[in-house]
Amino acid sequence: METNSPSKGFTIPIGPQHPALKEPGFFKFVVDGEVITGASVRLGYAHRGIEKAAEQRNWVQDLYLIERICGICSHIHALAYCLAVEQLANVQAPPRAQAIRTLVAEMERIHSHLLWMGVSAHEAGFDTLFMFAWRDRERIMDMLESLTGNRVNYSANLLGGVKFDVDAAQAQSIRSGLDYLEERIRHYQDVVTHDEMFLQRTRGIGVMTRSLAEVMGAVGPTARASNVPRDLRATAPYAAYSQFPVKMILDTRGDLEARFEVRLEELLESIRLIRVILNGLPESELTIRLPRRIPAGETVVRLEAPRGEVFYFIKSNGTDKPERLKIRTPTICNMNSVVRLAVGHQLADAPMILAGIDPCFSCNDRMVEVSKVKDGSEHSMTWQELRQYGIDYYRRLSK
Amino acid sequence: MKPILTIITLWLFPSGLFLLTAGLLYQWFDRKLLALLQNRIGPRWFQPFADTFKLLSKEEIIPEGVNSFLFIGLPVVALAGALTAALYVPMAGLAPSYGFSGDLIVVLYLLSLLTLCTGLAGTNTLDRFSLIGATRALTQLFSYEAPFLLALLGPAMVAGSWQIGTITAYAQTHWLILTQPLGFIVALIGLMGKLELPPFDAPEAHTEIVAGALTEYSGRGLALFNLGRAVELVVGLTLISAFYLGGLSNPLWFLVKTLALLFIIVGLQALLTRLRIDQTVGMWWRYGTLLVLVQWFVMILV
Repeated sequence: METNSPSKGFTIPIGPQHPALKEPGFFKFVVDGEVITGASVRLGYAHRGIEKAAEQRNWVQDLYLIERICGICSHIHALAYCLAVEQLANVQAPPRAQAIRTLVAEMERIHSHLLWMGVSAHEAGFDTLFMFAWRDRERIMDMLESLTGNRVNYSANLLGGVKFDVDAAQAQSIRSGLDYLEERIRHYQDVVTHDEMFLQRTRGIGVMTRSLAEVMGAVGPTARASNVPRDLRATAPYAAYSQFPVKMILDTRGDLEARFEVRLEELLESIRLIRVILNGLPESELTIRLPRRIPAGETVVRLEAPRGEVFYFIKSNGTDKPERLKIRTPTICNMNSVVRLAVGHQLADAPMILAGIDPCFSCNDRMVEVSKVKDGSEHSMTWQELRQYGIDYYRRLSK
Repeated sequence: MKPILTIITLWLFPSGLFLLTAGLLYQWFDRKLLALLQNRIGPRWFQPFADTFKLLSKEEIIPEGVNSFLFIGLPVVALAGALTAALYVPMAGLAPSYGFSGDLIVVLYLLSLLTLCTGLAGTNTLDRFSLIGATRALTQLFSYEAPFLLALLGPAMVAGSWQIGTITAYAQTHWLILTQPLGFIVALIGLMGKLELPPFDAPEAHTEIVAGALTEYSGRGLALFNLGRAVELVVGLTLISAFYLGGLSNPLWFLVKTLALLFIIVGLQALLTRLRIDQTVGMWWRYGTLLVLVQWFVMILV
């Protein structure tokens, strides 16, 4: 993905190792003084071969593998996988399980958006907001831990249901935690919309018009900040979102400030939704039995992760292992907009524009591009060549 | 007796060991207070000392493509400039050790030496981050230097002298913060710009250009630059407090005054977002200079 010609002029490399990046990615910015005139991105540094690994494990083992695709939105991946497998097996998880899945998904969204706000503020050099946002994020992580026993990989899902129930005491502690968070989030809303110094770094920066967002295929809050009505929770409800409808948050401006406002407004919407779910948890079993071998077939599942649409394609051949699993995470859809929007802005805005899409590199790395170092040419390798390359590489290292 | 006194002046007080210790302690105060305001715990009091000793004992890596004479020499010059400046300012509220007519200008230029050396150190290396950082450091130098200089010349004007000793003697009887509040504000914020503290930390914005001009520095050079900055913090605070907050006084009272100034600086660091370099320049020339000129105008009228 390139815009203009990144080979000419003074290039600033951001990555693969750089303090602005929490995960490896490589951004090349061509600058003229402080102004960016060209940008390119290269991904694939954190490719883990998850899709291939999933083909070698059985359906239940895959659940644990899939949950580890992302460290932030771990639940949504496991949920997507479960929903897909349940569709293939033609069973439906009980309503209470679906509601609890939705509950955890919304709590995860709160933790993800707070994390994002902290990182973005840090990129802008506003460390106080960063520290406060992450302090408050601890609160929601504690709530998740008290509910599921884990802070990061909640492991809430089972094929055909969830692992735990929500009792009255837990619901009460979540409610009191939400009261605290709501008050804090309203304060942060005030800060990001009224702090003049901070607005200098966000207002009118990285403006993505609606038509551009549609052409780029932007998803999630990034698209919604440009007034593109894409929120699968509202437009294609899954799990329990049809019983507990969610309001889509849109903004027309498309700049970084709009992205802040959309995400913060979504936090409040999530808090509202969690309260509604806690009050209206349907009574039912928590799990339903699934066969060990999933009937042959293909299915597609799309869910709204905190960062946008996550896409799962699963093909089963009737055995106890999936034949093919294809995952697409939202970052890859939004990444294109970064290189496009960065051009014309100051170098200082580049990390902000990058953080504005809430990138998550290791989740989106589905392939590695190997280019020869000397002549820069690209060529594809067969499976045999790749295997031999790996063997040779580690032989060389061990010598 | 005279040589011994000179040695004490240069090596122990006010320059030398005392100043290095004070600088690191002020730096700790700055870091600790900022941490508390940001709801963190912050470092223990000896952390800046530990950092310095560690850096000093590390191997210094001289990268390829640099002029190694400059690479080693620039940090030394930067620290020496800051230490020399201390000889002419009323350290700890006591009368300056040396003084001559016009030493204010010399001190201001000695204090600028640090930024200049940082900029040169950045351009000396081949590193891209260093080059951008150096450009920003020097751009910033040109933006805050004039308002800062004008702000400190305000007290000199009313005292009728460009000698720091005379100005502080005049300030003893006149709290200039009351008559020149604008100059005081510009001087204090100018000091933040000089020290590249947030929100003026664009030259070393680590989310963009790693460590800016000092990216290639690791061991001794980094320690010396850091010491230079710590010393400059003390000297700068001393100068502003002596000019605007009642001149010479006993060391304890002086400590309270400088720490109060540092408290304001830390509060601003916690409150404000980093400015882009173009915003920094715009702010200084549009508001900083204008404020000082208004101050001068009032002074001329009164």
